[in-house]
Amino acid sequence: MERVKTALGSFFGAIGGFFKKFGTAVAQGDIFVKLSLLWMGAGYCRRKQFIKAILITIFEVAVIAFTFGFALDYVSKFSTLGTVQQESVFNVMTMKNEFNDYDHSFLILLMSLVSFVVWIIFAVIYLNNVIHAFELQKLEESGKHINTFREDMREFLNRKFHITLLTLPVVGIIIFTVIPFFVLFLVAFTNYDQQHMPPSALFTWVGFRNFRDLFSSGGLTVTFGYAFVRVLAWTLIWAVFATFTTYIGGILLSLLINHKNTKLPRMWRTLFIITIAVPQFVSLLLVRNFFANNGIANTFCANIGLTGWLRDIGAISTSYIPFLSAPGWAHVMIVIINIWVGVPYQMLIATGVLMNIPTEQMESAKIDGATPRQIFVHITMPYVLFITGPSLVTDFVKNINNFNVIFLLTNGVFTTTNQLMANSQAKEVDLLVTWLYTLTQDYYNYKMASAIGIIVFLICAVFTLVSFNRLIQGDREEAYR
Amino acid sequence: MNMKKLTAFLLAATMTFSLAACGNPEVAGDSSAPAETAPAAETPAETPAETAPEQAEVPAEKQDVSLRIWGAEEDQAMLQGMIDAFAEHYADYANFSIELGVESESTAKDTVLTDIEAAADVYAFASDQLVDLVNAGALQSIDEMDGALQAYAGKSVADIKAANVDGAVEASTYNNTLYAFPMSADNGYFLFYDSSVLSADDVKSWDAMLTKAGEAGKKVGMTIASGWYNASFFYGAGFTTGLNADGTTAIDWNGTADVSGVEVTKGMLDIASNSAFLAVADGDISNQIASGQLCAAVSGTWDALAAQEAFGDGYAATKLPTFTAGGKEIQQAAVVGYKMVAVNAYSQNAGWAALLAEWITNEENQAIRFATREVGPSNKVVADSGEVAANVAIAALAEQSAYGVVQTVGGNFWDPTATFGEMIAQGSLVRDDDAAIQTALDTMVEGVSAAVQ
Repeated sequence: MERVKTALGSFFGAIGGFFKKFGTAVAQGDIFVKLSLLWMGAGYCRRKQFIKAILITIFEVAVIAFTFGFALDYVSKFSTLGTVQQESVFNVMTMKNEFNDYDHSFLILLMSLVSFVVWIIFAVIYLNNVIHAFELQKLEESGKHINTFREDMREFLNRKFHITLLTLPVVGIIIFTVIPFFVLFLVAFTNYDQQHMPPSALFTWVGFRNFRDLFSSGGLTVTFGYAFVRVLAWTLIWAVFATFTTYIGGILLSLLINHKNTKLPRMWRTLFIITIAVPQFVSLLLVRNFFANNGIANTFCANIGLTGWLRDIGAISTSYIPFLSAPGWAHVMIVIINIWVGVPYQMLIATGVLMNIPTEQMESAKIDGATPRQIFVHITMPYVLFITGPSLVTDFVKNINNFNVIFLLTNGVFTTTNQLMANSQAKEVDLLVTWLYTLTQDYYNYKMASAIGIIVFLICAVFTLVSFNRLIQGDREEAYR
Repeated sequence: MNMKKLTAFLLAATMTFSLAACGNPEVAGDSSAPAETAPAAETPAETPAETAPEQAEVPAEKQDVSLRIWGAEEDQAMLQGMIDAFAEHYADYANFSIELGVESESTAKDTVLTDIEAAADVYAFASDQLVDLVNAGALQSIDEMDGALQAYAGKSVADIKAANVDGAVEASTYNNTLYAFPMSADNGYFLFYDSSVLSADDVKSWDAMLTKAGEAGKKVGMTIASGWYNASFFYGAGFTTGLNADGTTAIDWNGTADVSGVEVTKGMLDIASNSAFLAVADGDISNQIASGQLCAAVSGTWDALAAQEAFGDGYAATKLPTFTAGGKEIQQAAVVGYKMVAVNAYSQNAGWAALLAEWITNEENQAIRFATREVGPSNKVVADSGEVAANVAIAALAEQSAYGVVQTVGGNFWDPTATFGEMIAQGSLVRDDDAAIQTALDTMVEGVSAAVQ
């Protein structure tokens, strides 16, 4: 908690400092600094940094052109997301449809967002520019050297190298992560669904209605609350089991392979890595067919009499073993199949960690008469846990959203017999994400998809933050040593 | 720049692109389609839209028309031939550049609705997608194209309706507007059987068929965990489904038609509990036919080849059998589906797109389609031709179509009915427990008729 407070404090402190600097610059700057408020190149011109002046002027003109030539068309409609419904008339003379100048709600939303991002970036550069002009003025007043353009550029390879490094990643994150996330976020507050699908129809803001619908009685489907609780429970159970079975399995497997009595350890390791090389969806679809109601596994079990025996003891009521088609059976099978798919990855990680365990501790433990089991429990495991803790957290979050395994194994095979689940288009084996997929894929219900998406995001984000904070606290490393 | 920094820079760049993988597909799709349709608004000075078709004169100079068309992977060569013939036929009016793309008829809706403005001008799809496409405003009304069709193709919308079987026209029509040109009438199911095991009399009723199959140690396969297949029992007994004005699905299966819904369910349970019956998972019927354990299977023309190989000389097909419910013998109905070709409402050349769609679905091209791909025609003349009648599967389909139903339902129909079928297949409903069956029917009806969000 303390750390969060300090972090927040320093963050807002930095922002405050930035604006203070800007205020000082405007107040104390000479006429050219003040002119920079209007023409961004003024300060540079005065200090004879002409190339910089030209570049910043081009930037300023480009942003102004973008604003008036493009952005305002969309941003002016942002509050309503468009009012002109599409209409068209067919003209038999030209053989073309003639459209009115209609609004496209989604483009308005998206382009407005892009405009906001551009303006925020512009604002930061604009404020910085004035501060910088003031710095130049002070440099000149104190008679210090003012960098030429070439010297400035060289700075980017030396003192300001971090800026050079980070520009591309930051731009990438803004375009591919930040903007899509905010689109998702905004759509959750609209009525973008099958009845309001652009370009033929408009959608608009509805405030928190989607979130209210999600949690109030009734919700998205007739039995939404009933299904939501069950799907969420299975999602969490699955995430716990999937994470820990593969984790423990991977460590045990790598211990086994690294054991001094194991012959040909490299061969075994390679064999397991080959299973990674086969695309996951191929192996999952194959396994799904093996265990289908009329698949190879069932034929085999019927031939050796296992199916008949299970029916005699009342474990199954069907003429086949419902490996992937009845709740319970399917739940266990999915976890087991996931072990087989996921263990090689964990084995690789664990191998790396185990190879780097400090041997002094093990040796001194041996001299003190510790059994191999004691060494494993008190030295190996704590060490491995400490090193792989963060990856365990990310694995857990990944499993909450593990679409592949669940969807590929159960889609088209598992049909629920629980009518209340079916009335919500859910299945006992659905995770939140696969359910979300069905709801949106079949119903184009983007507004609800966004709302559920935000909730899944919140669950994952909170869990990650909390557990990372506890796992990677500064003093832990010392304590371990 | 020294080596270390260069490496660091490259690493940072790599990281950017790996982060790019997290991009939201929704945006990726839409951002590439700027609002380029807006300028189309400049209306030419004198263009009365209601120009009487007869007076619609052909413009003096030839237009340049570029069109995109989507068709199924396996139809590409055939479609290219039809397109070439189209461009030649209308060469006097326009210079065509027509681009042919691949899009399966079964997934057309999903692709089109991702970005309607970027979809092809002309595309084919299966009849169950029509309602969603119309609701999203993706389809050009064909009625509006009447003028263009009369001026260039020399036939009216009424002519097209008259040339195709009624069911196909009904399936292409929504809210009294024709939205697509019917292309084929083979998207329904019937019974394939092995005549060396079952006689033509045996396949007249489920009881006789299952008894005979059991004696021969073979099975009869049908998918019942799907509302598309299991509806056949209810439709047969006079039950219905439909679409309400608000988009919800109307369904009456928990009531009473010729017999009660409970009796129909009991009839289905009698069939499903027979040891000679094999409940096949949705989409798995082809594999089961090929496995050789079946002597009869309920499926459609897409499995004709598999059935032919599995049954050999005994290969035969006919309408679905009758089943017993409430002491009556009831003829099992079937859902009949069609495939059709539509015009994108956002097409830049809607008129010529409509003519192309009309062209590839006209009488000659339906005949070509049957000749090359054995696709059952929706055109009456082609359907009555000798070659079509000689095709075992299509003849059976035609026989079944007397008991065919066009299934117009909303998305909420599928999961509850699939679950109901699965309950019957797994035997989780007890035959003698009328109250439990009635509750299950009520719950299913509640789910199907739920409001659409």
